[in-house]
Amino acid sequence: MHSGSKILRICSAIFIVLCSLYMTGCRGDEVIYPTIGTQVTEEEREGGLYVLCEGNMGSNKARLDYINLKTGKYYSNWYGSQNPKQLKELGDVGNDLQAYGTRLYAVINCSHKVEVMDRKARHIGQIDIPNCRYMAFRGDKMYVSAYVGSVATPELLGSVFEVDTATLSITNEVKVGHQPDELCIIDDKLYVANSGGYLMNKYDSTVSVIDLNSFTEIKKIPVGLNPTRIRVDDQKHLWIGCQGNYKDVKPSIVVLSGETVVARIPMACANISILGSTAYILDNKNHILHAMSTIDFTEIKQPIDISAFENPYGLLATTDVIYITDAKNYVSSGVLHCYGYDGKEHWSAKTGDIPGHLCRVGEAYDLNSDTTHSEPVKQSPYISHVYEYLPATGQFVNLLPKYKEGDNEESMCRKCELAIANNAGGMICLGGWGGYVTFGFDHSVQNKDGYDMRILGNAFSMSGNAAFGSSEPGIVMVSCDDNKNGKPDDKWFELKGALYDDSSTKHNFTKTYTRAGDTIRNPFHQQPYYPQWINKESITFTGSVLAPITQKVSGQSVQRVLDYGYVDNKPNTDIEGTSFDISWAVDAEGKSISLPCIDFIRVYTAVDENNGATGELSTEITGAIDLHIAAH
Amino acid sequence: MKKRYTFILILALCARAAFAINDAEQDSLYNDFRIEEVEVTARALTKDIIIPQTLKGAELERLNALSVADALRYFSGVQLKDYGGVGGIKTINIRSMGSQHTAVYYNGVQLGNAQNGQVDLGRFSLDNMEEIQLFNGQKSDIFQSAREFGAAGNVYLTTRKPYFKEGEKVHVRGQMRFGSFALANPNVGVDVKLAENLSLTMDAEYVYSNGKYPFRYKRVLPSGETAYDTTAVRQNGDVNAVRTEFGLHHYYNNTGFWRIHAYNYYSERGVPGAIVNNVWRNGERLWDRNTFVQTQWQDKWFNRWDMRVLLKYANDYTHYKNYEERLLPSDNEYTQQEVYLSLANKIQIFNWWDASVAYDYQYNTLARRNLLIAEAGTEYFNRHSHWLSAAMAFNIKEYLRAQASVLMTAVNNDAPHVTPGVFFSFRPYPKIDLSLNAFYKQSYRYPTFNDLYYTDLGNASLRPELARQHSVEIAYNKADKRYDIHLSASYYYNRVTDKIIAYPKGQQFRWTMLNLGVVKINGVDAKGDFSFFLPLRFVLRTRLNYTYQKAIDVTNSNDIFYTHQIPYIPLHSGSVVLGLEWTSKRGDHYGFNYSFIYVGERYGQQENSIYNYVQPWYTHDLSVYGEWGIKPVWLKANFELNNMLGQDYEVIQNYPMPKQNIRCTVAVRY
Repeated sequence: MHSGSKILRICSAIFIVLCSLYMTGCRGDEVIYPTIGTQVTEEEREGGLYVLCEGNMGSNKARLDYINLKTGKYYSNWYGSQNPKQLKELGDVGNDLQAYGTRLYAVINCSHKVEVMDRKARHIGQIDIPNCRYMAFRGDKMYVSAYVGSVATPELLGSVFEVDTATLSITNEVKVGHQPDELCIIDDKLYVANSGGYLMNKYDSTVSVIDLNSFTEIKKIPVGLNPTRIRVDDQKHLWIGCQGNYKDVKPSIVVLSGETVVARIPMACANISILGSTAYILDNKNHILHAMSTIDFTEIKQPIDISAFENPYGLLATTDVIYITDAKNYVSSGVLHCYGYDGKEHWSAKTGDIPGHLCRVGEAYDLNSDTTHSEPVKQSPYISHVYEYLPATGQFVNLLPKYKEGDNEESMCRKCELAIANNAGGMICLGGWGGYVTFGFDHSVQNKDGYDMRILGNAFSMSGNAAFGSSEPGIVMVSCDDNKNGKPDDKWFELKGALYDDSSTKHNFTKTYTRAGDTIRNPFHQQPYYPQWINKESITFTGSVLAPITQKVSGQSVQRVLDYGYVDNKPNTDIEGTSFDISWAVDAEGKSISLPCIDFIRVYTAVDENNGATGELSTEITGAIDLHIAAH
Repeated sequence: MKKRYTFILILALCARAAFAINDAEQDSLYNDFRIEEVEVTARALTKDIIIPQTLKGAELERLNALSVADALRYFSGVQLKDYGGVGGIKTINIRSMGSQHTAVYYNGVQLGNAQNGQVDLGRFSLDNMEEIQLFNGQKSDIFQSAREFGAAGNVYLTTRKPYFKEGEKVHVRGQMRFGSFALANPNVGVDVKLAENLSLTMDAEYVYSNGKYPFRYKRVLPSGETAYDTTAVRQNGDVNAVRTEFGLHHYYNNTGFWRIHAYNYYSERGVPGAIVNNVWRNGERLWDRNTFVQTQWQDKWFNRWDMRVLLKYANDYTHYKNYEERLLPSDNEYTQQEVYLSLANKIQIFNWWDASVAYDYQYNTLARRNLLIAEAGTEYFNRHSHWLSAAMAFNIKEYLRAQASVLMTAVNNDAPHVTPGVFFSFRPYPKIDLSLNAFYKQSYRYPTFNDLYYTDLGNASLRPELARQHSVEIAYNKADKRYDIHLSASYYYNRVTDKIIAYPKGQQFRWTMLNLGVVKINGVDAKGDFSFFLPLRFVLRTRLNYTYQKAIDVTNSNDIFYTHQIPYIPLHSGSVVLGLEWTSKRGDHYGFNYSFIYVGERYGQQENSIYNYVQPWYTHDLSVYGEWGIKPVWLKANFELNNMLGQDYEVIQNYPMPKQNIRCTVAVRY
């Protein structure tokens, strides 16, 4: 055979092999992890349930699943569908999940962050906390335990961080014991379980008590070796799950009343869930679900059998059913089981790796099929964008939202969005007269019959006299994006409020604030009052100004509540009093204008009034809602 | 001759050995020493009963490979675990049995790591390497140390041997390599002929890289729209390593020699860690020192009895520190020592029947110290291991070769384990180099110190892991002055039982090691080597490899991952190498080399779910080189372009690999 033809044949064989390799196993674009919906039950219940699957360290596989309890559909990787653009997904090792206010919070331990989401699990922001573990909430504050503090100590002490939920910034930190895990609040005190997990078999055995008013550790209560769980019951007892040392010291549950140990129950405790006067304890040594009375700490017989579980792990007792997870071998999918209190298993669902944390919410959501394809997914009833934020000098300026060195107009707008957009529930302040914010929705608001939108503030009524209260009215302006450039640079119209035609109201009023003139401080707020991100030395506002509204009623300094048409005038519980109609729009000459729809909304403080020690009246805003779009 | 009698006396005391000698061994020994390192293009008829995969000499130099690990990617049946970068850990897994079933031999003596049983092949430079061989089952020749019969897969690394032409006394090599990510890699070597048949070799190498390579994470929505696309630079991946070696070789007659080899490696490196959400750098640091001295003496008497004595002392030190303040601080020191002695004998009973007996002894210690807790003190662990092997080889005419071996292993005072192996090779035609080979072999993987004693996790009552291999192969070679072809294909069925796995103890995140796993492996390896000697002094070389591995977990039918493919083993993988070389009339070489490596889709965890899916990866590498003889020196320059198309890939999830990168090498030899 001629060698030339042989070479040809061999070369073509190589070519074929190469081609077939290319054809069969080519690498495509890496598509985001999908969200898969599976029908797991026909049962219909209220709301939904979030399941935070931890994932193994280094795998970046923390996963937030959701089950719509109305339809019985289980969605794996729900977070992914709501936040497909989140860089490197939810993160590494989910450690805690809680719903608070209008939001959902998840601690992602090895990503060193608390993920802040709306109730539909759409990303709002994050708080970076090193090695964060668990959360507790009170008022507008969140408390997060962390295995290490912001500055590591040689004794390896951990910290509890105080976070302002409005601004998502850390406001305080207190050192506690070694490797604090769960924490809970009774009255003004925060109790933290110090596990000592980093002490190489020595473990901690205390619960730190923190006074929330002074935010200092006031004492450490000895409980048992290696406490990790701490929950409060209906009798204000603390149930503390101590893990022992996995050798000679066996796990136990210690119950505290005040600072006194009232019960020591020798029992392994993977998880605790307290419902009414029953504490459910997940014993992962003997694979038993115990029910204990919170009155006398005796065991109550209950019929749920979990002996077939490979690794009982997560637990949530609710009024109708109880949810228990099996983490299997930790490195493969776990299972979520739903039991009735009669012992009957209602359904089970396959979860992600290590389903550990469960959180029931009142809302039942469906996955929007187009969610993962493009966004915006669906018109949101809540504002989505803050275009401008220019407060006038005021005591809460540079605080709500918080100004940090390096911030500019753009970054301050983003902070405002974090606070008030997407139903985030935070708050921003407009400062003295004229200070304003401009925001909008992901769509145009239609001018229909009746009210079109609500704008929320923080006004409240004087008890027993609704005509007065804490009101800091703001005037509303609206504008259409006539030039379609997406920017609020079009003609503005004022929404005519109750006092528009009043003789005390001045139109075309002008006031200038200067950096140099920002000298007055009250004892509570010592930061600069002039907006620090503004480079100009002065700001001038023009608009309508209302006459002072503060007066003394029963010895209290309060404001007269105006009839209608002003933001932060009536409490948010008064739906009509916080609603606005686009038909109220008037032009600069005061003539009514008919606008079919609007794109931009501006609110500015309507009064120029300073009450000395309590500072100036300044409009606060916590959000806005399009009344023509249904919440979903 | 006095020395020789002393050795015989030691031998008689230690082992009651049989006497043997083998002509083939004598030839190879003689040739090893005498043949210059040029590639022997025409193959002799295959004598091996177990045909190794081999890369050597010039072929090795032509590959786009920096370390031994890079070169092993071109073998079939091998999966490389690579954590990325010059400093990233690189281990191999042969035929899906687990990296701890692979034994790596450095100049004939096994490299040990009693702590975790794994050898990081990324640390072994190719610059001093003459040959890399991979044997499935065991080495062909029964004249081997007892321990060599013990592993399921064997990689033999052989360093360059000195060669002197008439009148030559000294050879000097100098080489400098530069590359992407601030790679600087100088290497010098000196060979000195001290006396007739006594030579000294020295080799030293330094490697530095800052490891700062860009990597990119891009994800798209199902619609094709970009979800995110970000490029960052790998941090804390720097490496600083110094290797020095020293060898003394004495070939005192045609059959006998002794040699001493000393090796020292020191490195400091960052452990770049996994890239996860919100974490783009990690703070672990690692310092290593590996030192060993090994000596080998071998001779033959009465034309029938071969004997070999090996002695080795190794001292390895590892210091691991985590600087990441947000995580569990750790600062640990590990010191391992190893003493190894081997006596191997082979006698030729008839010229068609050889027998061998060998005995090995090894003593390992590990000292572990936690530097953060003074009162923790130092923990010590040790292990005595004994191996006794007996083997026979039959050559029935030209048709059939057979080999049977049995190995007894005893660790500490545990009951010894016996593992057999049988090998056949059948050549039906005397003039056609076609052979049918088959083997069955059992081998144990002993639990490592980590498996047994790891803090809170180890389990001292572990049994060894057992691998059973069944393999059949068909091989065909043909060569003439225009071409040289080698083809082979094998099918194998392996079963690993009592596999040591970490398992949760039922307490929160408390793990323990258990003999729980069972893995079933069905595989096919196919490979072809072709060289064509074309007109005008052109040579075209190609090397093709394809591997199919179905390796499934059959531990427990209740597991969700029952019968799923085990982690990081692709169903399909392969490589293609194409090289074109031209030799000028005065003997200069110019060449061009292209290689393509393909690793198919895999899963990163036991469960083959879409959330654990890992995409295939493939890289295209190019190199061009020239070699010039400018008397009295010889000069070589080489330029490599790796991952030419800049694929953003991961071998291990969350450990991104480098995009395009280059290396330039200039070498001078005298």
